[in-house]
Amino acid sequence: MNDQAMKQFLLHLDETLKLGRKFIIQDLDENHLFISADILDTLQAKIDDLMDQISFPLAEKRGIKHSFFFSQKS
Amino acid sequence: MADNGLGSSNQESTLIRQNNLECKNLYDYLKTRPPNILEKLYNHPTICLAVYRELPELARQYVIRILFVDQPVPQAVVASWGSQAFSKEHVYVSKVLSELSVWQEATIPGGLLGWILSPTFKKNLKVALLGGGKAWSMSSALEADSKARDVTFLDAYSLERWECVLHYMVGSQQQEGISADAVRILLHAGLMKRDEDDGSPVITRQGFQFLLLDRQAQVWHFLLQYLDTVEERGLDLVECLTFLFQLSFSTLGKRKAGRFYPTRLALNITNSQNKNTPDIEEDTPKGYIVVETNYRVYAYTDSNLQVALIGLFTELMYRFPNLVVGVITRDSVRQALRGGITADQIIGYLKQHAHVQMLHAENRQPLPPTVVDQIKLWELERNRLTYNEGVLYSQFLSQADFNVLKEYAQTNGSLIWYNKERRTLVINKSAHDDVKKFLEEIF
Repeated sequence: MNDQAMKQFLLHLDETLKLGRKFIIQDLDENHLFISADILDTLQAKIDDLMDQISFPLAEKRGIKHSFFFSQKS
Repeated sequence: MADNGLGSSNQESTLIRQNNLECKNLYDYLKTRPPNILEKLYNHPTICLAVYRELPELARQYVIRILFVDQPVPQAVVASWGSQAFSKEHVYVSKVLSELSVWQEATIPGGLLGWILSPTFKKNLKVALLGGGKAWSMSSALEADSKARDVTFLDAYSLERWECVLHYMVGSQQQEGISADAVRILLHAGLMKRDEDDGSPVITRQGFQFLLLDRQAQVWHFLLQYLDTVEERGLDLVECLTFLFQLSFSTLGKRKAGRFYPTRLALNITNSQNKNTPDIEEDTPKGYIVVETNYRVYAYTDSNLQVALIGLFTELMYRFPNLVVGVITRDSVRQALRGGITADQIIGYLKQHAHVQMLHAENRQPLPPTVVDQIKLWELERNRLTYNEGVLYSQFLSQADFNVLKEYAQTNGSLIWYNKERRTLVINKSAHDDVKKFLEEIF
């Protein structure tokens, strides 16, 4: 694991049973957790969700000038 | 005694990468051939020369130095040819040369280990470098051809044929179909698969990655896949390879054997590593993509193939007769990443096809650095955690027991994590059986 924040996020998921159950088997050190293998897919999906929530669309997709073009699409 | 911890954390990379396109170069390919095939291949001077050209620089140096030495050269002597600072390179090229059976280990009277070039390779490399031996079958002289083809024609022809294959893959209908053989290879390579409903071939994830490669890599990959099927068709692998290599040494546009003209695509197959040779630059089609710092992509093209490729990682907005406008967004890139395309492949493709205008920009970078960085960041964001599948061992009775196991795991490279104070260690899952056996023997 590369960063503290992510570790804290995993601890939080574990404590609050966000994934339906506890999955951390042992807290090894600052950068390592020992987790059960079968939770992996769920965990990765959850992390993806988190990333989605904290990202902001950068690109200006519909400039003011072009908004007309997009009214149909959206 | 050491208690078997249960469960494990899981791997990510190995599992997911397996689905990705594996692109081998000549070395990777030959290395996986059995020694008897290599031995047969080395009977042909052309192949020896091609292999020699592909060797790392240091390896080429070694080969030349011992080419005319008839007895094994002590390994220590070979090692002493380079400075200590490059011992890593030495070890690497020694491995390469052994893997390709270019040289082999031999015992020198007196018990020292030495290297000696494999006799077949040695004989035929000499022929290739010094001349002699049988004439290369294809260079036989023929009378001038009344309808000679010039280089421009050949380039246009090969380009057209190759695009045809690519077009077929993306399913655009603007070209006629390709041969059934080529389709079979595409299916065999996993670049396309039969649709479950109507059985028609559709492109796979690997296929999309294939499309993003540069032309030369595509041809090479395609050929490798073809070679895989060669034996099933009752053809001799060695003969096919020999032919390919001979072809790659012929001259562009010079008619050989009275029947065919090699095109640029054929000539470039073996020099897969020299990306900078002028031949290849001429080969790349003119760039058509403009990327702006606001993530907009303008592609000046009317080809469905190119539009489909751009569409892999951008959100398309407008389509005009000769221009497509899209925007690179987090979602579009993530979708590509999920499809197994890497950030480097996306950036590589954009760079490779950058519009001439982009190359003339002040900073001489074909792409805006912000966009490049952001695409990489989007990829990294998906890999904030790394996973290793492992087994946890804890509750050792003594520090000594712990140390024994730790050292064992360390030497066979399976130790993932350990903590001395807590007498806990995590060992790669694949080594779990070995470790169990080891424990039974020791304790």
